Amino acid sequence: MIEPVISAENLGKAFGPVEALRGTSFTVPRGCIYGLLGPNGAGKTTTIKILMNLLRPSAGRAEVLGRDSKNLGWRDFQRIGYVSENQLMPDDMRVGELLDYLEPYYPTWDAALCNELLQQLELPRDRRMKNLSRGMKMKASLLASLAFRPELVVLDEPFSGLDPVIREDFSRGLLSTVSESEWTIFLSSHDIEEVERLCDWVGIMSPGRLLVSEPLEDLLRRFQRIDVTLPAPPTPAIDWGADVLRAETSGVTVSLVHQRYSGDATLAELRAKIPPSSTLYPAPMTLRDIYLSFVRKHQSSNP
Amino acid sequence: MFPFRVEIKPGAPVYEQVIHAVRKAVLKGQLLPGSRFPSVRQISQELRINPNTAHKIVALLTAEGLLAVQPGLGTVVQKPPRASAENRAALLKVDLEHLVVEAKGLSITLSEITRALEQHWEKIS
Repeated sequence: MIEPVISAENLGKAFGPVEALRGTSFTVPRGCIYGLLGPNGAGKTTTIKILMNLLRPSAGRAEVLGRDSKNLGWRDFQRIGYVSENQLMPDDMRVGELLDYLEPYYPTWDAALCNELLQQLELPRDRRMKNLSRGMKMKASLLASLAFRPELVVLDEPFSGLDPVIREDFSRGLLSTVSESEWTIFLSSHDIEEVERLCDWVGIMSPGRLLVSEPLEDLLRRFQRIDVTLPAPPTPAIDWGADVLRAETSGVTVSLVHQRYSGDATLAELRAKIPPSSTLYPAPMTLRDIYLSFVRKHQSSNP
Repeated sequence: MFPFRVEIKPGAPVYEQVIHAVRKAVLKGQLLPGSRFPSVRQISQELRINPNTAHKIVALLTAEGLLAVQPGLGTVVQKPPRASAENRAALLKVDLEHLVVEAKGLSITLSEITRALEQHWEKIS
């Protein structure tokens, strides 16, 4: 097996009495685009900061590019591009000056790629950083972290607050560089639709915990919404079993979220629990539906 | 210009949606046999989708015989397979399934839905 680019084992982080992260384990295979989803305060940024050695884990460990994250140093960051939402930028520098300043720090800096990205992202070389809009600033920091052809790109909330046009430019800029080499991208986002297009691996976090981490295709295949219509309101409530993540009853209909759906076998299993005159309608779920089911379930079980 | 159109919607796998759009474009004559098919990189960038997904799309269409790699030219669109009436019908399969499920859910009978289809057909043609 090829060594994963990131692997986290039982990561935990406490800020005083607050447990921001508990027992988080996952791997990010080489060459994938991994999207980490979760509501605010779920621990996405904490996870990324631990991976980037900006925070020390209180428990567990993580390896990034084969090194313990606690030992990542400047040499490793010549292979990692990192863009965070509120990155500090040298405000008085012009875009071109910033790039010229960064170039000597990276042996793998690719001037041709840098120029190509400048054009593609429509960034003006002679504009000062402080005069750039928020979207332009994000594009500038993306450019600065792609031009040296890193093996791993880590993006913390890259799309938040960007207008749709800039968001598209940003994604295209990212894709134009990744599709020609085996780069790995790890990003956190609220933008579920963008993640569904871009990512082939997803993780879903709910406060402090990682609930799933797997290929997007597998996740979409195993989740199914099944609408059940019963002859009469179910009393007492039906025990649907552990594979049903959520069951919402309203009158004679029950809407199930099934997390291990396998077609007719699943339907037969469910049919055995209900009167014969009931009807079952399975329908595929979007990533948004799946995400919301997880988050809502967690909210209702942990008030 | 990008040779086919696809509006990617959440829910169905992206590769299925794009493959569907390519088949449709070939059968409608918008993608002509012998013309060059975009590269993995172009597909990924233009449609803003994962490069691995774009790669899978080209691989599956090649296995299906709709695309072929020609040395020096890249990937080229092939003549669509002959049983095209069947292929055309297959393009509507998802929509038909959807219609049937919705109709059953609303307890609409087969003859009612056939009549409704005929009426719409008349209206448009």
